Amino acid sequence: MQTDALLHLNLNRRGEISRRNFLQAASLSVAGSTLLSQFQLNAEELKKEGRSCILVWLAGAPSQMETWDPKPGTPNGGETKKISTQTAGVEIAHYWPKIASVMNDVALIRSMTGKEAAHERGTYHLHTGHRMLGIERFPHFGSVVAKEIGDPHSDIPNFVSIGQTLSSGFLGVQVAPFIIDRPGQLPANVFNNTPESRQQRRLALLSQQENDFTEAGAETLVKEQTKLYQKANLMMKSPRLKAFKFDDEPANMQQAYGKTQLGQGLLVARRLVEAGVPFVEVRTGGWDMHNNVFKGMERRAPDVDQGLSQLLIDLKQRGLLEKTLVLCMGEFGRTPKINARPPVPGRDHWVKNFNLLMAGAGIKGGQAIGKTDENGQEIVDSPVQVDDLFRSMCKAMQINADMELHTPIGRPIKLVENGQVIKGLFG
Amino acid sequence: MLKRAQSNSVVSNQWIILVTLICLFLTTTLAAAPKKKKKAPPLNLPPLKTQEQKMQLLGYIRQSMPIRKIARRISFSSADLDQALEQQLGPAAKSLTKIIDDETFIRRVYLDLTGELPKPARIKSFLSSQNSRKRSILIDELLETEAYARKWARYWTSVIFYDSEANKNRISPIALEDWLTEQFQKGAPWDYITVMLISATPQRNKAVRNDYGQKFGPNNFVLACENKSTELASQTARIFMGISIKCAECHDHPFDNWKREQFHELAAFFHPSTYKMPDPDDPTVKTTVKPRFLLGEKPYETMKSDARRVSIAAYLAYNPKNYWFARAYVNRVWSEVIGDGFYDVDSLGPDSDVIHKPVVNRIAANFRYKDFDPKWVFRLILNSKIYQREMRTISSTSELFTAVRPSRLRPDVVAASIENLTGEDKALNKEIMQVFDMNPSLPQGSLEGSIQQALLLMNNASLQSKLSASDLKKQLVAISADEELVQELYLNVLARHATEQEVERNVNFLKESTQREEAIDDLIWVLINSTEFRTKR
Repeated sequence: MQTDALLHLNLNRRGEISRRNFLQAASLSVAGSTLLSQFQLNAEELKKEGRSCILVWLAGAPSQMETWDPKPGTPNGGETKKISTQTAGVEIAHYWPKIASVMNDVALIRSMTGKEAAHERGTYHLHTGHRMLGIERFPHFGSVVAKEIGDPHSDIPNFVSIGQTLSSGFLGVQVAPFIIDRPGQLPANVFNNTPESRQQRRLALLSQQENDFTEAGAETLVKEQTKLYQKANLMMKSPRLKAFKFDDEPANMQQAYGKTQLGQGLLVARRLVEAGVPFVEVRTGGWDMHNNVFKGMERRAPDVDQGLSQLLIDLKQRGLLEKTLVLCMGEFGRTPKINARPPVPGRDHWVKNFNLLMAGAGIKGGQAIGKTDENGQEIVDSPVQVDDLFRSMCKAMQINADMELHTPIGRPIKLVENGQVIKGLFG
Repeated sequence: MLKRAQSNSVVSNQWIILVTLICLFLTTTLAAAPKKKKKAPPLNLPPLKTQEQKMQLLGYIRQSMPIRKIARRISFSSADLDQALEQQLGPAAKSLTKIIDDETFIRRVYLDLTGELPKPARIKSFLSSQNSRKRSILIDELLETEAYARKWARYWTSVIFYDSEANKNRISPIALEDWLTEQFQKGAPWDYITVMLISATPQRNKAVRNDYGQKFGPNNFVLACENKSTELASQTARIFMGISIKCAECHDHPFDNWKREQFHELAAFFHPSTYKMPDPDDPTVKTTVKPRFLLGEKPYETMKSDARRVSIAAYLAYNPKNYWFARAYVNRVWSEVIGDGFYDVDSLGPDSDVIHKPVVNRIAANFRYKDFDPKWVFRLILNSKIYQREMRTISSTSELFTAVRPSRLRPDVVAASIENLTGEDKALNKEIMQVFDMNPSLPQGSLEGSIQQALLLMNNASLQSKLSASDLKKQLVAISADEELVQELYLNVLARHATEQEVERNVNFLKESTQREEAIDDLIWVLINSTEFRTKR
């Protein structure tokens, strides 16, 4: 991997350390202050130049009819009304007044069309850009971003997820999501009271112990664990850990995002992006509304409405929005026709047409791309495939969508197989 | 246990009629000769309300299976297994690793059969034993322990509950675990266990708050599926057949032969009344679907829902053409102990994805002949050479089974290894279970460690202070000879002796330290943080 190579190079300049001992190498390099400051410098540079992405994942698949493509007054429309927004001509469902007020910064895609109507498979498709076929496990897009944009020597993870998510697949632990459950707290066990010199002695002995186990036949596991220990040790000393907490936020900031799990998660996401983390996912569940979709929406939407609109305002004020892609979506859509499930009807799985929200990173706000017919059952204008979406995400992140990823057995796979950037999405 | 052929009661005639009927259906549907439809005469079923009654019915069906007659004449030993596998391996057989030494064996077999490490005294007595059959004696011995039953009960409970979305107040994983422990300990056959789980019909007791019948262990498979027909269908196929057909709920399987309709026919089996399949485009339009099992078996038309659940269990276990049932169990156990499966345990696509199919099919067939005795599978595999080979990371399918894959230990095993050293600590135990959590149905090859795991083992304050005050620590401090100290340390933490190199290294570390007690803490710290500590080698 890239890290090893770079570390290897750095340390060879200092002499004697073999590639195998790179755990030891890592600890030495931390001790070596020149290298440490060099890492920090790199991080600073990346923060200036690099792009970031915040993915707000609505797990369960939110209804397009109750988000950005309402159809009031039709048999399919149900109780949902539409409201006008900051952008003339763009109307959305009435559950989202605060998003309506920042519409000039937001692009809606109303003509998404997918292939997978089961949660696990849809989640996989919309996170990796690939369908779940065969045995390959494709990486989460966040892992691709972490690999392509993230500083390999970063002292905090290049990909943080607030809530469980997919893994880095065949890209391995180097770019795996660092998962936290409760936003606003430091990661557990990140400190110890061991003096640095003693910690170094321990790590040096550990690295020898690990070498023996490699020779006994556990090379892959040891390699992985060594990487993880190296990262953990960097993280324990990171001044950037404070991004996980709110200590230095003004009092009203937490309020502005909403004192909810999601609101606080989005605030942490902004702090992490500010600290140079290129990819953050924030998850919120409960969108699988087979039953009671209208009441369910009244319950679920306000947290997202508040937090997401505040995130956009905050990023913009800090000058971060132009470099940060914000995505809000779920795994597919919901049946335009209301089902007949007792006790209170809702909407079932539907993948033919659904919608999502994008903003920042060069995306032209104040527009709705694509159109469905009056009953919301057919796309009548500019259908967008998942491949098109991923090409557009790559463009926003300045990643080459045609680059090849290599599976463990060396099979090259294109990051995005087909499709083209969504027309008119970028200004 | 299954009661077999105790026909002494008055109802027995009724039973026999019923059994003959069911068998008739099994055989006619297997022959798949489409006969002209006659109106089915009403079926006078004896009540099937209690589990015992269901089991009795099943016992009769089982008794009459043709398979039992063949069974006595067929044997399949661990040596046969090795031979069959080596034949399959072809040129790859050149890269077979060596057979492990006794010390590696005892640790491996303890972890696989009990989820615990062997104690130093046990290791020493095993090493010193001169009995040439000592490995197989140890296997037999461990299979009779409660720890064996508990470990595998825990495994299956976690398989059933890992992705369950059921309300926590309506399930009881521990009741299921206890019940399974009891079954595994007394050697209950796998078909019986399966049937008990699938045919359960838990009833809610409204008089008691949150009583959904979860206290009765076997009810919990159905409760984990929230008693939903579609969930029961996909979980039954996944866990008991190793087939992934969940996606066929919405559309034909993307790369296998399962049709959407087949999925819903299977779901119809579990439905209390008439099952209706929603139209994929318009959920308000529904078509009635009749129950039909995956191989085409149809239940007796007038059968009530509880009898239908018994019959699906019978189709699952006793239709000899349903090779998936026996094979799914074999493949799961094999994956757990060898580190790789013949296929990913619950996502089997087309049958052509099965690697070394003749081998797994033979084990599965013999598992059936052996009356689905779970312990037979363990004996077969654990006594084989393939199980007793040295580890190596397997990176391509052609290398599969030429070595044992070094496997990550499951969260409960890591927690137990720690607890063994620190003594009981509920909060720490809970944290380890969360941080080391892994999906039991994912292959070892796709599991990953995390930074959080490293942070926990390096820094967790209560872990560090408990280790520093542990019995092991006291024991080590009391030893004045450095070499002996290092050996005790390795035996207690890694369940093996230290190598010469390791002794030298650790002794030097002690000698170079000014603070001996602190240095001992460091040595314990290093082993706890080593990859080996949380790996089955």
